[in-house]
Amino acid sequence: MNIQIVTVIGATGTMGANVAGIFASFGNAKVYCVGRDIEKVKRTIPRIVKSVRADAIAKNLIPADFSMLEKCVAESDLIFESSKEYVQVKEEIATMVGKAMKPHAVSGTGSSGLSINTIAECYPNELRSRFFGIHMFNPPYTLQLCELTPTQYSDVQLKEELKEYLSGKLYRTVVEVKDSPAFLGNRIGFQFINEALQYAEKYKDNGGIDYIDAILGSFTGRTMAPLTTSDFVGIDVHKAIVDNIYENTQDYAHDTFVFPKFADKLVSDGKMGRKSGCGLYQLVRYDNGLKRQTVLDINTGLYRDVIHYVFPFADKMKQYVAEGDYRKAFERLVNNHSQEANICRHFLLNYIVYSLYAAKKVGYTIEAADDVMAAGFNWCPPLAMYQALSTVADVHALIRENLPDVCEKVNIDELLAEVKPSNYDYRMYFKSGRWVP
Amino acid sequence: MSKVYILGGAQTDFERNWTKEGKGMAALLKEVMADGLRRVGLSFDDVKELNKNNRVACFVGNFIAEKYTEQGHLGAFLTEVDPAFYGVPSARYEAACASSSVAIDAAQTKIKSGDYDVAIIVGWELMKTVDSAAGGDFLGRAAYYDREGKGIDLPFPKLFGKLADETLKKYPELDEKRYMDALAKISVINYGNAKRNPLAQTRKWFMSYDQASMRGTDTNPFVGGKLAVSDCSQVTDGAAVIVLWSEKFISEHSIAGKPIIKGYGHRVAPMLFEKKMADNERSEYILPWTRQAVLDAYRRSGLTVNDIDVFETHDCFTSSEYAAISAFGLTEPGKEYEAVESGMIAFDGKNPINLSGGLIGCGHPVGASGARMLLDLYKQVTVTAGGYQVKNARNGMMLNIGGSATTNYVYIVGVE
Repeated sequence: MNIQIVTVIGATGTMGANVAGIFASFGNAKVYCVGRDIEKVKRTIPRIVKSVRADAIAKNLIPADFSMLEKCVAESDLIFESSKEYVQVKEEIATMVGKAMKPHAVSGTGSSGLSINTIAECYPNELRSRFFGIHMFNPPYTLQLCELTPTQYSDVQLKEELKEYLSGKLYRTVVEVKDSPAFLGNRIGFQFINEALQYAEKYKDNGGIDYIDAILGSFTGRTMAPLTTSDFVGIDVHKAIVDNIYENTQDYAHDTFVFPKFADKLVSDGKMGRKSGCGLYQLVRYDNGLKRQTVLDINTGLYRDVIHYVFPFADKMKQYVAEGDYRKAFERLVNNHSQEANICRHFLLNYIVYSLYAAKKVGYTIEAADDVMAAGFNWCPPLAMYQALSTVADVHALIRENLPDVCEKVNIDELLAEVKPSNYDYRMYFKSGRWVP
Repeated sequence: MSKVYILGGAQTDFERNWTKEGKGMAALLKEVMADGLRRVGLSFDDVKELNKNNRVACFVGNFIAEKYTEQGHLGAFLTEVDPAFYGVPSARYEAACASSSVAIDAAQTKIKSGDYDVAIIVGWELMKTVDSAAGGDFLGRAAYYDREGKGIDLPFPKLFGKLADETLKKYPELDEKRYMDALAKISVINYGNAKRNPLAQTRKWFMSYDQASMRGTDTNPFVGGKLAVSDCSQVTDGAAVIVLWSEKFISEHSIAGKPIIKGYGHRVAPMLFEKKMADNERSEYILPWTRQAVLDAYRRSGLTVNDIDVFETHDCFTSSEYAAISAFGLTEPGKEYEAVESGMIAFDGKNPINLSGGLIGCGHPVGASGARMLLDLYKQVTVTAGGYQVKNARNGMMLNIGGSATTNYVYIVGVE
């Protein structure tokens, strides 16, 4: 696949800008960066350059606005749409692109969860086979995941060529997924994050949000605790993802996709998280430069200081991980029966089960679950998590003991029969760094 | 003299930031030692068993853990890795960035002499414990600190920037643009090769000829004289383990097909950069002692440059890789650009340099680099390098330098 010219539609958005940077750098393509306001596009160019740390790509980035869209598309080998997540907007753009694109060009949408097949139908018959879902994660320079979704109309040969371009030229970890709401990475990741949010409400008298984050911190195989992640990506984005999954899918974990009421109120109050100054957490800055990290108390609706919880199981795990004694850390997790260790085990074990389950539904291989979680979330991927825990326990038995409800709904034997050694090293994901929201 | 066999080993993922993971040297050494021994089919119980008869010893390469991690006595520290190391002879060897090469040399000497049958070499450095200014100052101790390091912001980039200046001065017929172009291409080759290496620090980073040529921009600022960030290896955390076996032990275990160390060279140049340059007036080479170490290795192995299929060199800066090209004998001194321009040293070239990505691409945890290079040569000649394997690599040469090319260590590794 020879991609010389690319049009990115919606290039002023975070994803559009960052993906333009990937095409312009690794792809060494001339990129038309299209936005509604050309002045805003021009102001975005330096940000794109910075996103891949390369001034050399500036010459590849050409600002454009919608009046130039037709001309840009007509010249392009690849068109990447990264507009707002509204079907109507995306359909309008697809119709415009379908009218202007070259017969041998490829078109893709960066949609994080809308129906790719529906958008495909906006293309004329002869071009419909050349349209795909190309979903990258933010920031794509450090998170290499690219979920590729062919539609029922997609040309199989072209899909293989596109896959080769994305992996060979753009250095993406390409995972082919089915056209299913939120695809695979966000389905798994936000099952975990949303259930953590539900648990925050359930355990609000124990501390709630920071309590759950302290139980599921970086010592459990991730860089950022789950509710800190939600606050970071935006609670509104989190809500949009889980609402979409809840409304349009049906699986054993369906109830865990219900967005909690208290968080709904945050969204309607405009408290979307870090980007709006407060959300689940609030960083208070004083004139003298001091900073104070506070967290929402679900009971009162007020922000209070973050508590530095002392959970013996967690502190021991961190200590062991710091020393590189992973086995001892996992033994502590498996054998401790405090409420906190029970919650932690529940989440890590269900993460394994749900990942494998979702990979069967939405992906094509079991390894897809590992690739999306490692390359899209930087979490210890599920097969590696299985491997980590299996150094100290029979994971199968642990699941039966800790997730009796799940075992009633899912054929665990069949699911776990497919487990294979992970291509990822679990050790690097378990960290002992102090949990700082 | 009996032969010294390389059984293999392991390196950590050089992309990892152990400080961010909240882990220290104990965790680093436990991981790399477990991986290294497993790769060569040894267990900690085997180490215990070997130690009963005093047949195993450890050789630790590290430059300056006293500064980065506030820890000395690094040979003894291996007892923290596993009780199997209780009683095992173990010491730390230091020669700045060539520390693990001097550890390898001590190990091969003990194997050759018949004192031990198994030598475990571990080179390591944790450098991300401090910010780059503090780290740069620590590294200044690889030069004559009082005169070349103290109070100077990033002394080493400046020294290797001077090497670039001196190269242009020594070879007046060398066009500056041609030279700087060659340096940019060296950087691009190393970054490109790193993309194939799943343990390389920069495997996800972007670099292009244009970017490497745009020195002095926001994203590629100058770091020392003419050299910019793209000419420079990065601060890296990491460790590498190599296991050497004696000929006797190899035959006891009927193991075949393992490569041997065919030759080595070890020469020390004047400590001060100025004296080094004054000293080269007698030679056509900008770094005559580096060249001499290479010649010594050829002599000891009975091989010539024509026998070497792959090279790993010490590209702490592009200017040091440039000088290494003629030192290896790939070109005449002053004509190093020919090997770059012709594609000779590229991945698919006749004499590829740094298939691993080298220090610029793979990373440079200073005390680990020598062991990492030997491991990469081992991988090439045993056809176990995976994505960065080249065909028909029978012999490989490595050059590991300490300071401003002060300590020069060369090894030739090959199948029998």
